[in-house]
Amino acid sequence: MSATTEQTAEPTGRLSTVRVLATNPVTVVSAVVLAAVVVVALLAPWVAPYGVNAVDVANALQPPSAAHWFGTDDLGRDLFSRVVVAARVSLQVAVVSVAFAFVVGVAVGVVSGYVGGVVDTVLMRVVDVMFAFPVLLLALAIVAILQPGMATTMLAIGIVYTPIFARVARASTLSVRNEPYVQVARTMGVSGRSILGRHVLPNITGPLIVQTSLSLAFAILSEAALSFLGLGIQPPAPSWGGMLFAAQGFLSQAWWMSVFPGAAIFVTVLAFNLLGDGLRDVLDPKQRTLIESRRRR
Amino acid sequence: MKRRTFVSGILLAATGAVAAGCSTGEGVDLDGDGDTGTTGGTEGATLRVAIGGEPDQLDPNKTSAYFAFQVLENVFDTLVQPDENLEMQPALAESWEVSEDQLTWTFTLRDGVTWHDGSPFTSADVVYTYRRIIDEELANAWRFSAVTDIEAPDERTVVITVSAPSPNLLSNLGGFKGLAIVQEANVTSGDIATKPIGTGPFSVSEYRSGEVIALTANPDYWGGAPEIGGVEFSFISEASTALAALRSGEIDWTDVVPPQQVAELEGDGELELGVTPSSDYWYLALNQAREPWSDVRVRQAIAYAIDRDAILQAVSYGTAEANQLAIPKDSVWFTEYSRYSLDLDTAQSLLSEAGFTGGTLDMLATSDYPETVTAAQIIASNLEPLGITVEIRQPDFSTWLDEQNSGNFDMLMMGWLGNIDPDDFYYSQHHSSGGSNAQGYANAEVDELLDAGRVETDKDVRKQTYADAATIIADECSYIYLYNPSVIQVWSPSLTGYTARADRAIRLAQVGLAD
Repeated sequence: MSATTEQTAEPTGRLSTVRVLATNPVTVVSAVVLAAVVVVALLAPWVAPYGVNAVDVANALQPPSAAHWFGTDDLGRDLFSRVVVAARVSLQVAVVSVAFAFVVGVAVGVVSGYVGGVVDTVLMRVVDVMFAFPVLLLALAIVAILQPGMATTMLAIGIVYTPIFARVARASTLSVRNEPYVQVARTMGVSGRSILGRHVLPNITGPLIVQTSLSLAFAILSEAALSFLGLGIQPPAPSWGGMLFAAQGFLSQAWWMSVFPGAAIFVTVLAFNLLGDGLRDVLDPKQRTLIESRRRR
Repeated sequence: MKRRTFVSGILLAATGAVAAGCSTGEGVDLDGDGDTGTTGGTEGATLRVAIGGEPDQLDPNKTSAYFAFQVLENVFDTLVQPDENLEMQPALAESWEVSEDQLTWTFTLRDGVTWHDGSPFTSADVVYTYRRIIDEELANAWRFSAVTDIEAPDERTVVITVSAPSPNLLSNLGGFKGLAIVQEANVTSGDIATKPIGTGPFSVSEYRSGEVIALTANPDYWGGAPEIGGVEFSFISEASTALAALRSGEIDWTDVVPPQQVAELEGDGELELGVTPSSDYWYLALNQAREPWSDVRVRQAIAYAIDRDAILQAVSYGTAEANQLAIPKDSVWFTEYSRYSLDLDTAQSLLSEAGFTGGTLDMLATSDYPETVTAAQIIASNLEPLGITVEIRQPDFSTWLDEQNSGNFDMLMMGWLGNIDPDDFYYSQHHSSGGSNAQGYANAEVDELLDAGRVETDKDVRKQTYADAATIIADECSYIYLYNPSVIQVWSPSLTGYTARADRAIRLAQVGLAD
C-alpha cells in the first residue's frame, strides 16, 4: 500500500501511516529531535550568538561557560555557533547528495527493473562495479579528481549512494511489474512512461522512503569523514567532521572541542537511523500487518 | 636549507604505530642481520626513538625529507659539522687552510677513518661525493656554485678551488647531512637508498619499511664508540600516541610534540622536555606575478593587516619568537627590524592608494603542516575588514609544492629550516635568479647586495650587507616574515647527555641510557 494514498480510503480498519508511526515513542522522539535539528539549522544565523569565523585568540580554548555554551576552539571561536552553523552545512550536503542519489538511482533502478533484458543487465553490472568500491574510498577518489569543496562533497556522496537506490528501486519494481494492475494497464495500451510514473513509482515509495532516511544518516557521516580527512568542507567554513579533525590535537587540553561536534553527529545520525527503522516498520507490508493485528487485539 | 617534508598526520597513524616499541630496551643484540657487514661487539642498551614519519629513502645526497635526516645524522659524516652554536668544527676533515687570495681551500682529512664495511675512507670518496652532487645536479648542487675544481692530491688531502672568495663555503659543505660523504660502491650498487654505508657513529643494521630502522653502534667511530648499543627509529605521526608510548616506556625519545602540549609537559616531572629556539622561520609570500599583489602597497597593506600576535599564539602557544626578518635573535647575523604592527588604518590607506577595492585571495596552505591552516584562518578573519575574501586551500604537501612551483596561488605560508649562513636565509628566496623565488621578487639592489654578501670576507661588512638586503626584502614584502619556531623534543629521564639543538640535528653518538 502506498504511503500517500493511505489517509483517504481505508474503511477496513487500517490505520493511517502517521497514526501508526505515532504509536512508536522512539520514532516520535527521533522525529522531534530531527525537527529541532532542522529548525536550528534553518535559523542558524539567528541562533548563533557569535560570528562563525570570529577569531579571538586571546579567548582560545575556554571551557564551556555562560558566555560560550560549548566553550571556544584553538582560535577562540565560539563552538556553539560553529556547531549550529555546521548543522546547516551538514544537512545541506546530506539533503542535496541524497536527492541526487535518489533521482539518479531510482531512475536507473525503475527502468532497469521494468524494461529488463539487456538494459537491466548492463545497468546492474555498472551498479555492481560501483558497489565493489568501499563507499569512502570511492568518495575520496572523486574528491581527489575534482577540487575539494562543498559542491564536490555533495557530488561525491551523491554518486556513492546512487547504486543503493538503484538496487532498492529495481527490486521493488520487479515485484510490482507483474501485479495485475500493471498487466492490465499494459494490455490497455498505456505507454511505458505512464505506467512507470502512475503505477510503478507510487507503489515502490515505501522502501525508498526508508532508504532515504537511512542514507541521510550515512551522508552526514560521510561528509564528516571527508571533512575530517580535509577533503570535504574547507576551512574556515565550519563542519562537524572538520571540527573533530581540529580537535584531535587538543584531546587532552580541551575535551569540549571534540565532544560537542561529535555529539552533534551522533544525535543527528542516530535520529535519522531510528526514524528510518520506525518508517520501515510501518511501510514494510509484513511488519505493517503485524503491528495492525496487535492493535486490533 | 631544506624544506621539511612531513607526511600527513592521519594517514600514517594506523600504519606506523609502535611496532618497534615492543622489544625490550636493554641489551638487545641488533647485530644479527649482518647485511652491512658491520663489525659487531655491541654492548649497552638500545635507544628507542619515535619520529613523525618514515624517510622516503636513506641516500643523504638525494633526500630532502627531515625524517631521513633524523636517521642519517647518526650514520653519515660531513667534512665539517656545526657545533651547538652552529659554528663549523672539524669532522671528517681535521683541519683546513685558506690561501691568501681566498680562492683555494685545502682540507686535511682525519687519519684512520673507515666505512661501516671496514674499507678505508680516503680523499677520493670526498671528490666522488661532491662531483656526484654537482654532476647529477642534485638538490644541493647550488651549494657548489662558486666551486670550480675539486682535487685529491693525496689520500688525505682535498683541495677545493672557488671562483670568488666564499666565506660560507664551510657551512655549505657541512651545514647538514645532505652534504654527507657517501661511498661510491654503495651508490653504484643502488643499496644506498635502503642500506647506506657511512662513516658515522652508527650503521644501519635493519630497515623494515613501515616498521623500524635499526642502527647499531660503530665501535670504530673516529669520534669514539657510542655508549649505547644501538638506536631503533619507529614512526608515529600522532602526538598523543607518541606521548603515550613515551610515558609507558615503549620509547625513550620523540619529537612528535605539538606546541600546545608544551605547557602540560613542562609540569611533568617524569619526562624531560627540550624547547630550544631554532634557526627555522615561517613566512607568508604573495604571488607577484599576479594582480594586485604585484603592487608593493597592496603587499604592505596585508603585512599591516595581519595579527602577528594572534598567529604566533595560535600556532606556537608561546614557544616561538616573533620576528619580522628571517634570521633569529640568537644568531650573530640577527638584525633588529620591526616596521609592521597591526594597523588597519595604514593598511586601508595603502590599499586605496593602490586603487584596490576588494577581491578574493587564494591562500595556499597544506594539511601536512597544520600551522598553515590555523594561520590561514586567522588571516582570513584579519583581511575581511579590508574587503579581501580569503579562500583557503589545504592540499597535501606534494600537491602544495606543485601548486607553488607552477605559480598557482595568491598567497602561501611555509617555513624554511636548517639555515645557518645568511646566504641560506636570503639568496635563493629573494635573488631574481634564485631557485626558490616562487613569489617572483626582483630588485636589482637586493640582487647586488646578495651577490656581494656571498664573496665578502669581512664579517662586519658582510653582516651589514645582509642587514641592508633583508630590510629591503621586508620593506617590499617579498616575504612577510612571521616567526622563528622552537625545536620541541621530549625524552625519558633515563636518556642522558642529550640536548635539543637549534638546527634540529639529532646527535646520538654521545648519549647514554640508564637502566
